[in-house]
Formats: sequence, C-alpha cells, structure tokens
Amino acid sequence: MIGLIEAAEYAVKECERLGADEAEGFTQKQRTVEIVLERGEIQNERTKTQQGIGIRVIKDKKLGFAFASTLNQQVVQETCRDAFKLAGVSPENPDWVSLPPPRKIPPVPEGLYDDELASLTPDEVLGMVIGGYEAVKGVDPRVSIDDGKLSIFSTEVAISNSHRISLEGKGTAASFFLVCVAKEGGETSSFAYEYEVSRTLRGFSTEKVGELAAKKALMSLGARRVEPFRGEVLLSPDVAAEVLFGPVVSSVNADNVQRGRSLWADMIGENVSNRNLTVSDDGLLPYGLGSSPFDAEGVPSQKTLLIDNGILRNFLYDSYTANKADTESTGNAARNSYSSLPSISISNLLIEPGTKSFDDLVSEIDRGIIINRFSGSVRVESGEFSGVAKQASYVENGEVKFPLKETMISGNAFDSLRKIVEIGRDRRATMTSVYTPPILVKDINIVSK
Amino acid sequence: MIELIENCISKFGEGYVEMRGHSRKVFSVTVKDGQVERITRGLNRGVCSRILIDGSWGFSSTTIINKQNLLRLLKDADSLAKSSKPVKKRSVKIAPVKPHIDKYETSMKRDPRKEELEILVEDVLEADNEAHGYSKNVVSTSISLSVIDDELYFVNSEGARIRQRIVRCFGGASVIAKSNGKIASAYESIGGQTGLEIFEETPIREAALEAAKRAVRIAPKRVVPGGYYNVVLENRIVGLLAHEAVGHTAEADLVYGGSFLSNKVGRKIASEMITLVDDGLLPSGFGTMKYDDEGTPTGRTVIIDKGVVKGFMHSRETASQFGVTPTGNARAWSFEFDPIIRMRNTYIEHGDWTLEELIEDVKEGYFLRGGGGGQADFNGEFMFTIQEAVKIENGELKESYRGAAISGNAFEVLNKFKGVGKDFAMRVGICGKEQPNYVGIGGPSLNTELLVGGS
Repeated sequence: MIGLIEAAEYAVKECERLGADEAEGFTQKQRTVEIVLERGEIQNERTKTQQGIGIRVIKDKKLGFAFASTLNQQVVQETCRDAFKLAGVSPENPDWVSLPPPRKIPPVPEGLYDDELASLTPDEVLGMVIGGYEAVKGVDPRVSIDDGKLSIFSTEVAISNSHRISLEGKGTAASFFLVCVAKEGGETSSFAYEYEVSRTLRGFSTEKVGELAAKKALMSLGARRVEPFRGEVLLSPDVAAEVLFGPVVSSVNADNVQRGRSLWADMIGENVSNRNLTVSDDGLLPYGLGSSPFDAEGVPSQKTLLIDNGILRNFLYDSYTANKADTESTGNAARNSYSSLPSISISNLLIEPGTKSFDDLVSEIDRGIIINRFSGSVRVESGEFSGVAKQASYVENGEVKFPLKETMISGNAFDSLRKIVEIGRDRRATMTSVYTPPILVKDINIVSK
Repeated sequence: MIELIENCISKFGEGYVEMRGHSRKVFSVTVKDGQVERITRGLNRGVCSRILIDGSWGFSSTTIINKQNLLRLLKDADSLAKSSKPVKKRSVKIAPVKPHIDKYETSMKRDPRKEELEILVEDVLEADNEAHGYSKNVVSTSISLSVIDDELYFVNSEGARIRQRIVRCFGGASVIAKSNGKIASAYESIGGQTGLEIFEETPIREAALEAAKRAVRIAPKRVVPGGYYNVVLENRIVGLLAHEAVGHTAEADLVYGGSFLSNKVGRKIASEMITLVDDGLLPSGFGTMKYDDEGTPTGRTVIIDKGVVKGFMHSRETASQFGVTPTGNARAWSFEFDPIIRMRNTYIEHGDWTLEELIEDVKEGYFLRGGGGGQADFNGEFMFTIQEAVKIENGELKESYRGAAISGNAFEVLNKFKGVGKDFAMRVGICGKEQPNYVGIGGPSLNTELLVGGS
C-alpha cells in the first residue's frame, strides 16, 4: 500500500517509462458513513472505505484510460500498462494539445474540511439521524417517514501529471434527506422531500430537515385537481435548479458549445434571459459544496461570470476544450470518482438573489401554482421540461388556495428564463451545487385531467 | 478471494454472518462526433460483511482485501449491529433458505475474457459514422459500448458458498439533431446478459441509426399537446410502465410501508389481459442471476396473474415478516451496498393483438415511442418520459410530435387496458432505489389511458 500522491506520481513515471508522451495519475480515498431510513425505520448503517487510481495516458495524440481500486505498486503498474495499451488502439485526436501545465493555486477556501465531521463515529452519526426522526414524530402523528439517508463523507485526492503538477487536497461533506408522507382518513399526501447538505457541521441540523419535511407533507393533505390552464409558477430552489438551471449548465459547457449541442454557442454578449438574472460559477466559494482550490486536472479554481444581467458572458472550460478554443481553462474539470475521466462541470453555480421573500412572491401571483418537487424530465439541450408537480399548491389573487394532485407542468427553460417575473431573496444550496433562491416565472402550461 | 472470505467467516462466531466478495471488470468505449472520447479499462474489487445479531443488521465494506482487514470488517459490522440495536423499532428475523453450494455463469457464445475488446472501437466508430451520415441535421452524437464482467462470491455462516459470474454487454446511442435553430435529442439502447454475440445480433449501428432518424424527425416538430389521452405504448417502452407503475409497488419493503398493493392479494385489480411477472431466470435478461445477493435461488415471481394480485417480491427479511418463501429479489449494486429488494426482469406477458389492431382501436390519441427515465412513489403515482408521440386519428397514424413526461396512477391505469399486443420485447435498464441496479424491463405494445404533460 502506498500513499495517494506517491501512487499518482509513480503512475506518471511508470507510463512515461512505457513510452507515453504525457500521463496523469488521479488518486482518491474516501470514507463514508451512511445511515438509511426506510418506512420509518432505521434500515441500515454502513461504513465504506474506498480508494483507487485513474490513469490517463497520451501517446501520439491518442488517449487511453484505466482505473483500479487497489493502490499497490503491482496493480498501479498493471493499470498503467492497460491505459498505455488502450492509447495504442485509440484513433488519433488531432485536437489534442496537452495536459495542463502547473499554475499558481489559490489558497484553500475556508470551510471545505471539518475535523469534527471527519471524526464522527458511527454512533454519533446515528444520533444525528435519530434527531431528524424524532423531529418528524414531534410535528404530527399523521406524518411518517418513507425514506431518508444521512451520509458523511471524508475525501482525499491527489493529482500528478507529466508537466509536474503535483497536488493534494481533502474535503468533508454531510448530506441528509427525508421523504415524508402524511395520511388521513384513507388519503395519502404527496411525498414531501426535504434535505440539508453542507461541507461542515456548521448549521447542519437534521432536526430542521425533519420538521420541514413533516410540515410539507401535512400541507399537501386535502389535495384537489384544477382545470388545465396557463399561468405563473413559483419554482422552489430545488425545482429552479433542475428545471431552469439544468439547461443553463448544459448550455455554458464548452464541450456542448463546441459540439453544436448548445443553443447558446454563438450568443456570447447577447441577451439570453430576463435582465434581472445574474449567474456565476465560483469554485472558491467558502463552505461551497463544489469548492476546491484546484479542479480534477490540477487547474486553479476561479470565479467565472456566466450571465450578467441577462447577457451571456462566458462558457465553462476544462483544459481540452480550452486548448481547442485557444483560451484558458476556467478550472471546471470534474470527476465523479477515480474511475471516470474528467469532464466539464459547474463548481458552485450562484444565482444572484433578489429582494422579495417567499411570501412576497406568492402575493404577486394572479393565478398560478407553487411547486416544491418536480418528478419529470428536463431535456437540457432543447430546454424542454415536462413532469409531475409534486408538493404543489394552487394560488389565486396572491393567496394559497389548496394543495394540488395529478398536475403536470410543461414548458421550455430557455423561454422561461426570459419570462422570469421575480427572483426571490432567500438563496439555498441544492444537492446539485446550484445556489438559487425561489424563482417566479410566467406563462407555463399546467396540465391535468 | 472466496477462500480468504471463507476462512475469515469461520473465525467469527456470533449471529448470522454473511460476506460477499465482488470483482467488477469494466471495459467501455465512448465515441463522440467521430472522436474516441474515452476508452476505459478498469477493475473494482471489494468485500463486505453483513451481520444480524439480536434482530439488528450491521454492514461494512472495504476495498482493502487482506486477512487482517477482513477480520476488522467483520468486527465493524458486528459493532454497528449492536450499537444501532436500541434505536431499531423492529427486531429483524430472516426466513430460512437452504444453504447452497453452487456455481453459475452467464450463458455466452463469445466470452469477453477470451477476446481482444479493443475491436469494439471499430463498431462504435462505424455507428457514429452511420448516425452522422444519416442527415446533415445530425449535429452531435455520443455512442458507447460497455462490457461489465462481475464475479460474485457469497458465503454465509449457514454454510452457503456460491460463485456467480455475470457478464453484461450493452450500449447506447444518443443523437442530437437541429432544424431551424431548434434542437432535439433521441436515444436508443441495446444489450443483455450475454457475451459479445449481442453486438452482432443487435449491432449498435442500428440503434444509432434509429436514434438519428428519430432526432431528425422530431427536431422541427412541436412538443405533444398536453392532456389525458387514449394511448398506444410501443412494446419497447411498456417495460417502463411494468416497472414504474406496478413493479415498485410490489416490492415487499414498499408493500410493508403501505403501498397501494398492500391489502390486495387475491383481488382482481386489472384487466384479465394483464399478467405481470418478475423473472430472475429469464434467458439473457439484464437482471438475471441464479442466486440473489442473500444466496436465495431466484425464479419466476408472478405479481399479477390475469388481473389478480398473486404475491410480492421478497428478501429473507420481508419473507419472514409476511410468512412466505423468499423469492430471490434481494440484490446489491456492489460490495459497497447491502442487498435490498429489487426487481430483476419485470414484464407484462404478451396478448394477441397486432400493433395495427391496437392503433386502429384508438379514435383520438397518441402512439408513444422511445423511452426515457421514470420515477414512482409507493402510493402508485408514477411518471416516465417518452421521446416521440405520433398522433392517432380514427385509428390512423398522423404527424409526429416531440415527447414529454407521462404520468398516472397505477390502480387507475391497470383498469384502463383495452388491448395487449403480441409483439413482446425486452430492454435493458438501470433502476435507482437508494442504490442503482441492472434490470430487464419488457412487454408487448398495449393500449391504455394516460396523462401526457405536453405543451
């Protein structure tokens, strides 16, 4: 067994010895404690340790990749040989320039690693779950937990490449979600989802999640249908992140831009949304879910302005797409794990908040719905979305009238971005690292029987 | 690996103990727009242990495989089981299963271990070429083939000792087309639990061509108008209905939580035309395995027989709760997860209508084609996405529209079947329920009513 950075550096040397023009080793070690709740019961508690290496080899502009879940010298050697062999059979990519050279890495942002979180024992983690569980029970006996999970992660990574990048980093994270359901007189409410995700234990409260989930479930009892209509929709931060910003994230991805998969490919400097919308990607956000001083290729993280008062300003690049476009990487290469190659991803997508509270937004709706959970599909390239409005309520003349059932919404995110009525004040970190307030949009098709 | 595991388990005395070893070899090629985007080879190996002591489970997994660490793994699982005991409401018991000592291997004509997998690069490049060549409106493609070669070892303190080798070969083609500044995507997949022969029998280039044709066809079209319609579902997407609308609600852990099927055994809930099965032994089924991840032999589990609810899918734990025999539905994605109740190959059995007859029967509605993802809540509310909707007027197919999400409630939809086709087809799928897993989904084309979330 060897250390992460030693294994990554060894892999680079070994690939070069085999005859590689360039090589990169990415190693990762992760400890996870997870507690799974099912049907209101603690179903399981698990601890996982995993580690591994992913090796990228380039020979004559041909790329090979191999990974392994063992970090000893012999396995790393074999993995290098696999990657090298694959590079040999891969056709040449004329667009290949090089792996990134070292650049100055900014200081580690505050709040990415929490010693206390990293050293939680399984018993303490269990105690946190019970806190959330008790909070649900404390709200109302009609509410029960359908499922939920608390996960505690502690991760270390190392990257080394032939251009003398050699970096190490570590981080922690905690995430908790609950799905609650309320039952009364044979009626089952729509499933209420609530969550919290954080890099540290600061402000992380499982009790708060339990209480909110239970209240949401109760609020959706007594659901009714409405006739189909076209109206305003108040998107919760989660739904806004998925429905509105899913297509934004896809459209600013330089790889999609270069492949003709982005409708914004030729629109830098042009208006793409309501002028109150300002969006940036910030890899250095303190306590940010997607923050790190460097990305998955060892390129420094940065803040990149994407949409400035409705005007498209930039795309997000990794080193390959940046080389292809003759620009600099924005430090947006990401990997799911050691077993995958880097690809472009947001770090933390920040939506500039407005000034109105949630209740103020509701009071501005003539006729529309509030949607807290979306169960459907978003075609990120075309912007089409369609799905079931869960945890939804009907609003008329600024007042919440009743919860909805069997209601679907359908529209196009690129149209909706232009039809934003108001951006709320209270920004929230969603599970996908999109930080957005609730957003009110108009002219959405509301479908029902 | 299995000897080491056996050796460790024999040294551990208390409660019910199981250990699983898992080695997953991965080979995959992805081509995007004429370039090999990635060509990957990988190996993930690990061991987990699950221990049931005094009615409480504990689970632990690791990728560091040596005797010392495996003994520590057992101790970790043991202490987790003991420490979480006081907060668990229910004391777990498991139904008896005869300990099997056996081997199983996917039936294969061309074993991927005996061939150079690099040759698959050519197939993918050819498919990419075909898709791009179909029309100048095809702007981008992403086409991949994968071979996943799993070795699974199962050992428990009751004496079971099972080795299974499960090979899955599959691929997908996603194609983006443009028309007058509008963009549309389409996707097709192939695959099964087989050797490399599947890539000859159902070449990826055919899937790529089909996806290209669909993307080009729908690119200039509008999204299907929203509303509640009489629809014909194409055979290749009926599995989504079987899986999302019905399958999940028949998983015994969800039944126990009060799913809509919970008090309906023996009751007629659907048309007599409907027989719905979850089959663990379907030849080349994506979810086929001889034993599940608790060492229980799998089989053919009938959920609905001619409209009548017959039974549910069980693990050893839920079989004990319900007082029935385990059905072999406890599956784990990898050594990092404990087994939970999952479907294997879920399908609706064929009927005797032709596709033409099913369509002729619709006065006004849509023929829905091309599948996407889906979700289900245990109260029977489900949704899944379709790629294309073809208008039906007086039994005749008219213009195409872009697809949308469709939704419904299982117990309503089950009563609305008007006809079931004879054109049975199975597809591959990946289902997420806390952890992912490979499943087969299938059925024949059929005729029902659903809410379409269109424009």
